[in-house]
Amino acid sequence: MDFAVKVKNLVKVYDGKVRALDGVDLNVNQGEAFALLGPNGAGKTTLIRILTTQLKPTAGEAYVFGLNVVHDGGKVRKLVSYVPQEMSVWTDISGYENLLIYAKIFGVPKLEREKVIDEALENMGLTHVKNDLVKTYSGGMIRRLEIACAMLIKPKIMFLDEPTIGLDPAARKVVWERLNVFKKEYGVTIFFNTHYMDEADLYADEIAIINQGKIVTRGKSEELKHSLGGEIIVFTLEKTAHKPDLIQNIRKLNFVKGVFEDGNLSVLVGDAESTLPDLMNFLKSEGASVGKVSITKPTLDDVFLKYVGTRLEEKGRVSDVRHMRDMIRKG
Amino acid sequence: MMEGLKNMLVMIELELRRLRHDRTEIYTRAVQPILWIVIYGPVMSSVKAIPTGGVPYTDFITPGVMIQTTTFVSIFYGLTIVWERESGILKKLLVTPASRYSMVIGRSMASGVRAIFQALIILPIAVLIGVKFVPNPAYFILAFTVIFFASGGFAAISILVASFMKTRERFMGIGQAITMPLFFASNALYPIKMMPPILREFSTFNPLSYVVDAVRGLLITRDLSNLLIDLLAIAIFDAALFIMASISFRRIIE
Repeated sequence: MDFAVKVKNLVKVYDGKVRALDGVDLNVNQGEAFALLGPNGAGKTTLIRILTTQLKPTAGEAYVFGLNVVHDGGKVRKLVSYVPQEMSVWTDISGYENLLIYAKIFGVPKLEREKVIDEALENMGLTHVKNDLVKTYSGGMIRRLEIACAMLIKPKIMFLDEPTIGLDPAARKVVWERLNVFKKEYGVTIFFNTHYMDEADLYADEIAIINQGKIVTRGKSEELKHSLGGEIIVFTLEKTAHKPDLIQNIRKLNFVKGVFEDGNLSVLVGDAESTLPDLMNFLKSEGASVGKVSITKPTLDDVFLKYVGTRLEEKGRVSDVRHMRDMIRKG
Repeated sequence: MMEGLKNMLVMIELELRRLRHDRTEIYTRAVQPILWIVIYGPVMSSVKAIPTGGVPYTDFITPGVMIQTTTFVSIFYGLTIVWERESGILKKLLVTPASRYSMVIGRSMASGVRAIFQALIILPIAVLIGVKFVPNPAYFILAFTVIFFASGGFAAISILVASFMKTRERFMGIGQAITMPLFFASNALYPIKMMPPILREFSTFNPLSYVVDAVRGLLITRDLSNLLIDLLAIAIFDAALFIMASISFRRIIE
């Protein structure tokens, strides 16, 4: 059986200088929900745009259900549906009309059209506003309409670029429940980008983390968390002086598996109960004074922190993102 | 092929649905041509400086003014495309099974539909101020068919431009730079004979002149001696631009 998505050593360079993808290797199984997590500018959108035949890779190969995205673009487009990150519906016609136009472009047979459109509207909870102009919709309703568009055909694979951007938590939950039903009922593979950790955690069968154009780790959410091993002790340090190489020194302790700092000091250890006293003593000897201590199991957040180096929200200066977007725009 | 034709019709349907919801643009864009016909026409005709081959000057310029408006509408249709590019609409359209050429031709012809409405709205005003049209429905239908296809070609120019000029501001600038020369270096307001020789040469390559000539012959003068050449020129113009715009369309989202 072919993989739903198979990517080999994929490279994309914009304008000969910005390396958006730097040798990506990836396989996605059929019928899975697959999340690509990464900071802004990591290459998530570029990868989706190559897989949906919008951009040509600079090097490497990509296949969707065994079809080469460069050479068999036409065939690939028959299998996929796609929700871009940006708004992608016409605002000067109604929600129903948007779906009607797409149903016709996708070649949904006339007799089934009404049924299919009604179903999609119903799924996304838009039936009561279907005849209103889209410009009167809220941001969340527009996003749901876009997902409804992607549900019109039963694609083999859906590419969703930040599918729940602009939705409130309740709406996100509803959308994902519907997507899950859709996935199970029709065996649709869902390939999505997100920067919501909990979304990847809850709804993805597999997760890959991408950073600076490379896949840094992948696996099921539990596996990823497990791979960190042990427990995390989070110290909130008082704002007093401590030795500048504190983190380096903690890392040298033999029972410490990892240290990350993001305001708080997180230390990954095998067993928190037995190592906490030693750690406390060590911190004291290094001149750090501890205000608060808490012990947690590793979360996906911690996995991200370990592989990317910062927490998701903090990475990516605005200027970097702009720069990348400009490059993408200019092609 | 059938698939392509169907998708073109869908794009036209989209435009009609848009028009059904909001016709303001058609009305506001009608102001300028009406001024040409109601003020400029009568004033210039009192001067009697322009040889029009026996028809009143206002009658002479009415087809020219209609075509000017529809051409402007079509050339600025690219703004819609630029907007759709800035949002995700074009990306999504290009990921559907619909072919590039059916999108380009479909969108262009959709602009042709808009142009027909734009031209129609001028007719009653022209009749009111006394412009005498040839009372032959077949001629009318042919004239509007010419307008439809010619506008499609001009819209394809705008799609071509839109794939290079990726911001609205740049597009506006280039749009103006195309439309005004097209208009003034055509036979819309005066016969080509009156132009300086260099402009006359330019006018031979100006698609607008062929469109005006055909529509003027059909609606006003009954002079159809050049009709075949006009239609041929428009067909070549359309075909060339549809091809060029289709080729460049893909780069629009890259």
